[in-house]
Amino acid sequence: MARDQRGDRGGFRRYFTPRRKVCRFCQRNVRDIDYKNVDILKRYILERGKISPRRMTGTCAFHQRKISTAIKRARLLALLPYIEG
Amino acid sequence: MRQYETVFLISPNLEEEETTKIITQISDIISKEKGKLIQEDRWGKKRLAYPIKKFEEAFYVFFHYEGDSNIPFELEKRFKQTEAILRFLTVKKETRENVRKKRKGIPAEETAAPDAEAEIVAPQEEKIELKEEEKISAPAKEEESAIPQGEEKVEKKEKEETAAPDAEAEIVAPQEEKVELKEEEEISVPAKEEESAVPQDEEKEEEAEKKEEDKEDLSSAETIKEDK
Repeated sequence: MARDQRGDRGGFRRYFTPRRKVCRFCQRNVRDIDYKNVDILKRYILERGKISPRRMTGTCAFHQRKISTAIKRARLLALLPYIEG
Repeated sequence: MRQYETVFLISPNLEEEETTKIITQISDIISKEKGKLIQEDRWGKKRLAYPIKKFEEAFYVFFHYEGDSNIPFELEKRFKQTEAILRFLTVKKETRENVRKKRKGIPAEETAAPDAEAEIVAPQEEKIELKEEEKISAPAKEEESAIPQGEEKVEKKEKEETAAPDAEAEIVAPQEEKVELKEEEEISVPAKEEESAVPQDEEKEEEAEKKEEDKEDLSSAETIKEDK
């Protein structure tokens, strides 16, 4: 039993980074995320054009909300794709 | 009085005169409704992320103005009437500062990352640099997991070297040291130390194997650090 658990933990360590991610917008004390700033928004969409989830980017809830609205606005203006590939 | 931002897309097949005509018409509406145009920006022809009305590119125009709520209403009425305008978006602009107040609960260490000082000095540049860093680390995910660990270890080692005289022992038996450090990371598991008394040897073996794999990455990470 104990052995199995340890094996699982080893697997966990191997596949997930133990590093704690910090919200990059909180670090800079940014309040609003601009929908015109495509360069930043591009970092928060996946290959297929989806909005990347919080668990991947480490963004805080507050800024994730801002990002998602900004991305949706940018999509409307064809600055970002709805779907890609 | 409120501030608004409007972006609209003009179809690319028009002559330059026609586009300027449309733009002046729009700005006339704003001035007619006693609005104040703060900024007018023509981004020019840009490629669209997806085709709109079978156009692959469009002429972007950006307005930032102040006025009553009937201005965006009038503008959008005009946009809908004009055939050449492909898309438009009006956003209420928040006039408060674009800086978030720090909450008291957050300790200073978290926000004070190693790059924090540089960020405050030049936030724009920093963002771009970070972007590049991410791009580099993104494709090689497995390596990524090794590098940050390495950094942590290096930091911890440096601390201990300055503080404790065990530094030599560390060099002699780095394997053991690393295992201990790993367990420090898992403070959240309470019964860890007692449990580890017996099965630690097995774990060590497992982790020793990993270490050897990681060591190459580690050494490379260290050299990078030194270069910086």
